Amino acid sequence: MADQQALATGRHLIGVDIGGTFTDLVTFEPASGRIAYAKARSTPRELSAGIADCVAKSGLALTDVDTLFHGSTVVINALIERSGAKTALVTTRGFRDVLEIGRSNRPENYNLFYRSPPPFVPRHLRFEVTERVAADGSVVTPLDAADIASLVEAVRREGIEAIAICFLHAYANAEHEQAAARLLATALPDLYICTSNETACEWREFERTSTTTLNAFVGPRVSRYVERLEQSMGAAGFTGRLYLMRSNGGVMAAQHGKRLPVAMVESGPVAGMIGAGQLAAAMGEHRVVGFDMGGTTAKAALIEQGEPRLVDVYYVNGYANGYPLQVPTIEVIEVGTGGGSMAWLDATGALKVGPRSAGSEPGPACVGAGGTEPTVTDANAVLGRLNAAHYLGGEIRLDIEAAARAIDSRIAQPLGLSIEQAAAGIVTIANSNMALAVRGITIEKGIDPRDTALVAFGGGGPLHAAAIARDIGIPRVIVPPMPACFSALGMLLADLRHDLVRTCAQPLNGRFERIDALLAQLSAEGAALLTEAGANPDALSCSGFLDLCYAGQHWTLPVPVGTHAEGVAESTKIEAATATTSSVRATSAVSAPATTPAIRDCNALQLRERFDRLYEERFGHAFPGLPLRIINVRVRALGRRPKPHLPQLAARVGAPPAYAWRDVHVGAAGRVPCRIYRREALAAGDHIAGPALIEEDVATLLLDADDTALVRSDGSIVVQVAPLAVVSP
Amino acid sequence: MTAKTDMTAKGAMTIDPITLEVVRNSLLATVREMTDNMVRTAYSPIAAEIKDFSVGLHDASGASIMQAPYAAPAFVADLDGTIRAGLALYRGDFASGDIVLSNDSATNGQHLNNMAAYAPIVLDGELIAFAAVRSHWIDVGGKVSGSMSVDARDIQAEGWQLPSLRVYRAGVPDPGIIRFIERNSRFPDLVLGDMRAQISACRLGERRLLELVARYGRTVVFDCIGRIWDEREAIARSAVAAIPDGIYEAHCALDNDGVHAGVPVPLAVRIEVCGSDMTMDFGGTSPQVAGPYNSRSAEVVARIAFKYLTTPALAASAGDFRNLQVRCPEGTVLSADSRAPMAWYNMPIISTIDLVLRALHPAIPDGVTAGHSDNIGSATFAGVHPASGQRFQTFIPYAGAWGATAAADGQSAIVSVVQGDVRLMPVEMRETLFPLRVERFELRADSAGAGRQRGGLGVYTVQRALSECSYQAQYERTGDAPWGLAGGACGAITETWRERPGEFEHGSLPLKCNDLTFRAGDAEHLLTAGGGGFGPPWERPAARVREDVLNGYVSVQAAERDYGVVLDERTLVIDEAASAALRAQLACNPSGERNRSEDSNRSVGNSPVSK
Repeated sequence: MADQQALATGRHLIGVDIGGTFTDLVTFEPASGRIAYAKARSTPRELSAGIADCVAKSGLALTDVDTLFHGSTVVINALIERSGAKTALVTTRGFRDVLEIGRSNRPENYNLFYRSPPPFVPRHLRFEVTERVAADGSVVTPLDAADIASLVEAVRREGIEAIAICFLHAYANAEHEQAAARLLATALPDLYICTSNETACEWREFERTSTTTLNAFVGPRVSRYVERLEQSMGAAGFTGRLYLMRSNGGVMAAQHGKRLPVAMVESGPVAGMIGAGQLAAAMGEHRVVGFDMGGTTAKAALIEQGEPRLVDVYYVNGYANGYPLQVPTIEVIEVGTGGGSMAWLDATGALKVGPRSAGSEPGPACVGAGGTEPTVTDANAVLGRLNAAHYLGGEIRLDIEAAARAIDSRIAQPLGLSIEQAAAGIVTIANSNMALAVRGITIEKGIDPRDTALVAFGGGGPLHAAAIARDIGIPRVIVPPMPACFSALGMLLADLRHDLVRTCAQPLNGRFERIDALLAQLSAEGAALLTEAGANPDALSCSGFLDLCYAGQHWTLPVPVGTHAEGVAESTKIEAATATTSSVRATSAVSAPATTPAIRDCNALQLRERFDRLYEERFGHAFPGLPLRIINVRVRALGRRPKPHLPQLAARVGAPPAYAWRDVHVGAAGRVPCRIYRREALAAGDHIAGPALIEEDVATLLLDADDTALVRSDGSIVVQVAPLAVVSP
Repeated sequence: MTAKTDMTAKGAMTIDPITLEVVRNSLLATVREMTDNMVRTAYSPIAAEIKDFSVGLHDASGASIMQAPYAAPAFVADLDGTIRAGLALYRGDFASGDIVLSNDSATNGQHLNNMAAYAPIVLDGELIAFAAVRSHWIDVGGKVSGSMSVDARDIQAEGWQLPSLRVYRAGVPDPGIIRFIERNSRFPDLVLGDMRAQISACRLGERRLLELVARYGRTVVFDCIGRIWDEREAIARSAVAAIPDGIYEAHCALDNDGVHAGVPVPLAVRIEVCGSDMTMDFGGTSPQVAGPYNSRSAEVVARIAFKYLTTPALAASAGDFRNLQVRCPEGTVLSADSRAPMAWYNMPIISTIDLVLRALHPAIPDGVTAGHSDNIGSATFAGVHPASGQRFQTFIPYAGAWGATAAADGQSAIVSVVQGDVRLMPVEMRETLFPLRVERFELRADSAGAGRQRGGLGVYTVQRALSECSYQAQYERTGDAPWGLAGGACGAITETWRERPGEFEHGSLPLKCNDLTFRAGDAEHLLTAGGGGFGPPWERPAARVREDVLNGYVSVQAAERDYGVVLDERTLVIDEAASAALRAQLACNPSGERNRSEDSNRSVGNSPVSK
């Protein structure tokens, strides 16, 4: 599967994404603008070996690599498989069960047999020590060092490999945690020890304890993994920097990843959203939805001003049965529908699609690897939407007959439909399921879909995007170049990023001494982390935010501080990505590295107005008369990196692009003769009217009858989606 | 304008299966979106964080089309009756833009805090559906702040009623109603803020349903709804058909009605399963009581229990309950006079739901849980915060335990059967917002009912007042502990006491009180109830008992007494011979101090009667 194209020598950037089945690699040479891809099977036993394989396949020498970006499932796998270190938890006396009690909720309302997920540390390995800090950070009871000494013995006896320390209100005063960590590290120098204040410095003791515990649990394994990776790369001549993808859409230095592995929990899936954000920013689209459709799931994320929206808490294994992590994570809504999703009839005879997937083995029936269940890909094949002779770049010849047989026996016959009707129905239902994810990230969050565009990527994205956009009322679909490899490409576009947060609950009353001190402290911490990671000192910026809420409510919104409220809320990445506009906007948006965000430049009234405006925008109304509270202080520290410029497409000269004809079932119009284009043959400025297909090696863009597409000089294709036909009642 | 009432499912077989799925997804997306809108715009924490509300679409007759899946179970499909009352009152004469408010005790049958708002959905002059949101208003007047006293004698003492009043008429608000609310609630900003959120969610539901109808046509949409109901009925019927025919009974008792101390309130269910139909009969339950434990919720109680048993994973709709009949004579605590006090109406509801599970144990031993702790809220602390000078009031759910099942231990530290995704406020937040310090928050050892599968553990919380405040409590089911099943033991009951600085002995605390003064330094020790066990404790593998002892869930003493597992106190090594002997003895004479199973529990019973 490797693209065997050898690359000329020169300094390169490499992005490596290790997924469950395949390791994807993308290389980019800034000097020439050349991009190349390679793909190798992931080697589960020794993941870093997979990287070396993949690099070898690309024909590139590691000595030529300047920067290696790495996304990995190592953290999420260790958590899902519960294959981490034997971990102990040290808590404030009286609170060892916080980890097990959680929030006492039952997310599955009517499930008599609901069980909350079992804690990662059993009760007998959760140790209490005498100490107490109050909510304002004052010490109520000093730390009893004798308690620490006595638990050292138990830790040795139990063969503990990692220790998480989480004391109440440690976000307000970390001294006890730090003292405990020092004492333990002295007595147990070989253990992986982490405290809550360095892992997640926010209130909510359950969520913080969970974050710290999971961090300790995966810490030793991830540290070893990163060390082995560094060693094997180094042995192969790599002298550049190794950056790890974080869930917040940025990257961090390898040494920081060892201390904060939980920040990498969504390391892989977010990369495509970063790419979508960069593309949107470059195109001047202020609000888009990133839509990534793969084999088993589809994912959607909201991207504003080039920046994917973040959530403060991420749940490993989902909300109902999962473990919270207080790490800023790109908000991705996922549904279990992808190309491999199976169509089936439930007990009442209703037609369902997914979430079970045929996966890569046996795969869809049409792939001929033993699959007999009808899948979304089989439906597309039967409808003529896939090029049977050129599937996956010609590697596989699709067996349309097998797909038709599977649909006929499992779906069409039982429902009394024709094979074509059943296939179209499977696609419609799959689209309807995926539309739920896109709705969840837009309409359900108060975002008007008519103000957005859908950036579609992943193997299946371009094929389904226009129909989903039409269903929801999104007027445009943007398909980036090389959509199937877009996630790997997105990594190369990531900036160094640290999101620092500190809970500091107080009324918003104009007294900002504590807040300003925290903003300065967090900015200094952020700048130090970026400098350690080798960020360019001229490209550092720190933006400050206050999480505010109405007193009595718990919903906080991050409100930018400083004089440039709107500017700070925008991403500094926009400027980096669009060279033409950067000089115009740089003055308002990018803080100089020497300046730290501070409130002194704006008063409580301005903050209140900003909050009311944001609240109104998000929730439809505001309560301007109600008092506000500050909950958290946030600093986003960015080390901007130069962005690769993708090769530009030449404008068309001469005859319009060539096309073939094929009968394709495109949508409401049914099966019609359809123009089939090759994407490589398109030039900038080409207009294509639907019904049409634009095929490339691992993806197909489908235009329905009244959709039109325009090819841009940056290689992306913009589809104007025809509005939905309405049946009169 | 008249209501269209013939929304039957006839012709459902001709529905295009693809359109059906799209309409199903759209309806689900609509109620989800209404819920999200409500959570985001509601002002009061009880709505936004505790999620004490429900959202649904209803047809023109009031029948539930689909209810949002995240609603608190207490509210399952209970808006039908409220809407029907408005339909009858206004004879279906509704216009687009109308909003009706109701907390009418006669037709809602719940405490007055639960305020329904609904919008008629009108197409071409014809009423086709309703969008509705019910939400717990933080205060609707009455004798105590929050409107939920533990000893009210009539419904007027619990607040005022808005009996199906049209607060908006064709989009124009009625300023008189708004003024009335403003003047009569203790927290007018909060309740009016929540009312606006409810109205906004209703309007959203109206817009979305009209869009759906415009897209697919009214007939198609309602045919799909009919088909969805038919599917639900089929699923519910197959679930009931799997239950052996028979008559199943169970009963238990609440401690008292809040007015007459020491007089238990008996609750009873009689369930008849016949083929794929189930009848729940509450005729044996207590006559209505003087205190605030009444309701008109017989139908709702039955539906919640039925939902648990038949279609737990599906969003509720009218189709879910077609094979459920409910019998309840007038004048019981579940069918009280509308003038009776109802503030704590949830207490009989929770225990009655639990009784349904208990009654059905002989029929479906694998399909039920042993007794739960059956409480809802922890004590409320209220007063003036010394730092800010502002009034505060805590609202902390009761983290109890669930009973064991045939296959697994019960869940520890969890909310009741009528609460769903209700989350405890973090200790760190509590201590920041209120003048309180939490000194202990841990699982309560030895609280679980012993069994082959043991119950869940309750929670032991110590909460100290840092300044003088008022303490309001309502704890129940201490006379009749969470029961075990199949030879499992009862869980521990709720206990509270007061600790005062300088006093060596712990003082007692009333389980129910409206306003007890806590001085600075006084602490409440709250030990919440454990869940019942399932199966004989001596059948629990000794290794699992040892593991529970290792983790401190069960003490060495209880392991020996309740489970017959003898352990070395220091090494936790099992004395196999002594254990075998003790377990054999327990099996012959199961009357250990805590081994009160349902057969020996003094005030409860359970008797399957074959037909």
